[in-house]
Amino acid sequence: MPGNPATYTSVLSADFIRACARARRRRERLVGAVVGVCTAIVLFGLLAIPLFLLLGLHPGTPLPAETWQRFEVLLAGTLRAGLCGVLVALPLGIATAMFSAHFCAPRLRAWIKPALEILEAVPTVVLGLIAAVTVAPWFKVHVASVLALIVIIPLVLLAAGMAFGEQVRNEGWLPLWLLPLLIALIALVLGVGARQPAAAMIVAASPWNAALVGLALGVATIPIVFSLSEDALFLVPRSHTDAAFALGATRWQALTTVLLPAAGSGLVAAGLLGFSRCLGETMIVLMASGNTPIGGFDPLHGLRSISAELALGMPEAAPQGDVWRGLLLAALLLLLLTLCVSALADVVRERLRRRLRTAAHAA
Amino acid sequence: MNARRYGAAGTWLLAGLSGVSIGALVLLLGFLASAGLAPFWPAPIDELQMQDGRILLGEIVAAHAAGMSEAVAIRTSERERVGSAYQRVRVRDIAARSQPADAIVITLIDGRRLYGRHDAQDETALLAAAASPADALEVLQPNALGVLARCGVFFNRLAHFLATPPVASNLTGGVLPALLGTLTLVLLMSLIVMPFGTATAIYLHRRRGFAARCVRIAINQLAGVPSIVYGVIGLGLFVHGLGGGIDRLFYADRLPVPTFGGGGLLWAALTLALLTLPVVVVSVEEGLARIPGSLREGSLALGATPDEALWTLLLPAARPALLTGLILAVARAAGAVAPLMLVGVVKLAPALPVDGVFPYLHPSREFMHLGFTIYDAALASADAIRGVPRAYACAGLLVGVVIVLNLTAILLRNRLRDRYRALET
Repeated sequence: MPGNPATYTSVLSADFIRACARARRRRERLVGAVVGVCTAIVLFGLLAIPLFLLLGLHPGTPLPAETWQRFEVLLAGTLRAGLCGVLVALPLGIATAMFSAHFCAPRLRAWIKPALEILEAVPTVVLGLIAAVTVAPWFKVHVASVLALIVIIPLVLLAAGMAFGEQVRNEGWLPLWLLPLLIALIALVLGVGARQPAAAMIVAASPWNAALVGLALGVATIPIVFSLSEDALFLVPRSHTDAAFALGATRWQALTTVLLPAAGSGLVAAGLLGFSRCLGETMIVLMASGNTPIGGFDPLHGLRSISAELALGMPEAAPQGDVWRGLLLAALLLLLLTLCVSALADVVRERLRRRLRTAAHAA
Repeated sequence: MNARRYGAAGTWLLAGLSGVSIGALVLLLGFLASAGLAPFWPAPIDELQMQDGRILLGEIVAAHAAGMSEAVAIRTSERERVGSAYQRVRVRDIAARSQPADAIVITLIDGRRLYGRHDAQDETALLAAAASPADALEVLQPNALGVLARCGVFFNRLAHFLATPPVASNLTGGVLPALLGTLTLVLLMSLIVMPFGTATAIYLHRRRGFAARCVRIAINQLAGVPSIVYGVIGLGLFVHGLGGGIDRLFYADRLPVPTFGGGGLLWAALTLALLTLPVVVVSVEEGLARIPGSLREGSLALGATPDEALWTLLLPAARPALLTGLILAVARAAGAVAPLMLVGVVKLAPALPVDGVFPYLHPSREFMHLGFTIYDAALASADAIRGVPRAYACAGLLVGVVIVLNLTAILLRNRLRDRYRALET
C-alpha cells in the first residue's frame, strides 16, 4: 500500500482493510476465471480436431468402392515411406545416442546435442527440396552403390574394431577419427560402383522412390530418435553402471548387460515416436515420392502417401462432396495411425519408468 | 580376451554410425550454405565457337555428362521473355571455348538477361535496341572482375533479393512479399498463441485435478498430430466454418465471392497457433516448475495472494521461459508449410497482407510464404534452370532465420538454467 504513512494510520480502519481484501479476492477470482476460460478454449480447440473429422463424415451416403481401393494404396504408400524412414533413422539415431550417452568425451557431447537440435529445426520443405532436386538424379544412378554401402559400412567398422580396437584406449573422440575412414570407404564404393556393369542392373524405377523418401525422412527423424533415446539412457541411475564397472565390466559390457536391458523399452519408444513422425510427415513425401499411387512394398518404386493426398487434393475438393468426405476419412485414418503409434510409445515408456522406480526402491 | 575384442568391435560400430550422423549433418548444412549463396555470386560468361560457325555468348547453366552425348546448356540473350533463350549444345560440336574479358551481362528490370561484347559496336547497339537504358538493373563485366568487386556484386544482389518483389510471375527477382508474408503470419500467430499458451501453462501449474489431467493428455497427444491434419482442420473448421459464417453474417452482399470464407492470413495464423500451442505450453510450464518453491512460499507468507505472487514474482522470473517458448514456436511455425497449403498460401499474391491502406493489416488476404516459394520454385516453376537456384536461395534464407532463432532459444535456456541455479543457492 504505497503513500504517506502518516495518512495511512488515520485511514487504516477495519472497514478499509476488509474492502481491500474483498478487492483482492475479486481480482483473484477474475484472474482464475480468465485462466480457466483460456484453458477451456484451448481444450476445445484441441478436441475439435478429432470431433470435426468424425462429424464431417457422419451424414450422407456410404463412400464409393473406388475410394476404399484408393485408401489401400495410400495406406501402403504411407507405411512404406514410414518404414523406409525409420530404417534409416533408427540405427543412426540410436547408435549416436548410445555413443553420446555412454562413450562420448564430454566436450564432443556438448557439441553433438545442440548440433542435432539444429538439424531438427531445419524445415522439412528444405530437406524435400534437396532430396527431390539434387539427390534424386544422383540416387537413381547410384542405387546399387548405396545399397552396398549400407552392408559394407557396418562390416568394415566391425572388422576394423576387431583388428585395432584394443589398441585404442580412449574412445571418446572415435567418431571424428573414423570420419576419414568413412569418407574413403564411401568414395571407394561409389567409384567402383560407377565402373561396375553389374551395378547398372539395379536401377530405380523412378528417380523419386520410397528409398529416396526414406533417406530424407531418416535425416529428418534422426534428431528426435536421438534425443528421446539419449533421455531414456540417462534415466538409468549412474549407480547401476558404476556397479558394473566395479565388478570389472568394460564399457561395452556395462552397456549391453546393464544399460540396454534397463533402457530398452525407452529405445523402443523412441523408435515408435520416430515412426509416428515419419508417417505424418508431408513436405518430404510430397516433394520426393513422385506422388504416383503405386501399391506394394518395393522400395525402388514411387508412392503416394495419405499426407500428400491431403495436401494435393484438399484445396480443390468441394466441401461436403464425395471427394471431400473421402479426404476427411483419410485424415482421420492418418490421425488414428499416428495417435496409436505414439500411444503405444507412451505405454512402453511408462513401463520403463515403472521398472526404474522399482529398481531405485530395491537399491 | 575375445570379449574385449567383441566389445571393441561394437564400440567402433557405434562410433562409426555416430560419425555417419555427424557427417550427414555437416554435409547437409554445408551444402545448404553453398547452394543457398551461390545464386548471388556473379557467374562467368562463356563464348562458344561452334563447328558450324555459330558463336554463342552466354552463361553455362547446366552440364549433362551422359556417356557419348556430353552436352551443356547455355543461356544466351533473352530478347523476348524470361527463360526463352536456353540452348543445349553437344560438347563435341564446340570448336573453341573462351571467357572473353570484355563480355558484359545486362540484367533488366523485368528479369531478362542480355549478353554482349563491350567493344563490338554491333552488339552494344543490339543491346540498346532490346532495352532502353532505364530498364537496366545491373550492368556487369563479370569475367574482368576481381574478387573484391565480385563480393560487392554478391552483396548487392543479396540486398536486392531481400528488398524487392518478384518479377516475371515469380521466376526471378526478389522475395520481399514472401518474406513479409512469413513475418506477418508468424507475428500474428505469436499474438494468438502466447496468451492462450501461457494461461494454459499457468492452469496446469496450479491445478492437479481431473480437468488438468485431461488438458495435459490432450496437449501431449496432439503434439504428435501430423501438421497436415492441422491444415485439414484449418480448412474445414476455420475457413469453411468460421469464415463462411462471417461471410454469411456480415458480407452477404458480396457472396458468392468469399471475403473471410477463402484461405487467408488470419486462418493460417490460427492454424499455426493450434499447431505450436503444445510447444509454448510445455516450455512455459517447465519454466514455472523450475522456479524454486521457496520463492512462492516466501511471497505467500508475506501476505500476497497466489495471483499477486504470480504477477509480481513467478511470471517475471519465468520470462526467459516465455521467450524460449515463443522462439521455439516461431521456429516451428516458420518451417511449417504443409498446413499452409490448405489455408491460403499462394504462389503469387496480388497484394501484400500489410500496407498503408486502413486497416493496415488485412487478415482476409491470401499471402505468400518463403517455405511455399521453395516448393513452388523447385517443382512448379516454368523455368527450372532459374527455379532451382531460386528455391535454394529461399531455403538458405529460411534455414538461416530458423537456425538463428533456435540458437537464441538454446542460449536463453542455458542462461535460464544458470539463473535458477543462482536462485537455489
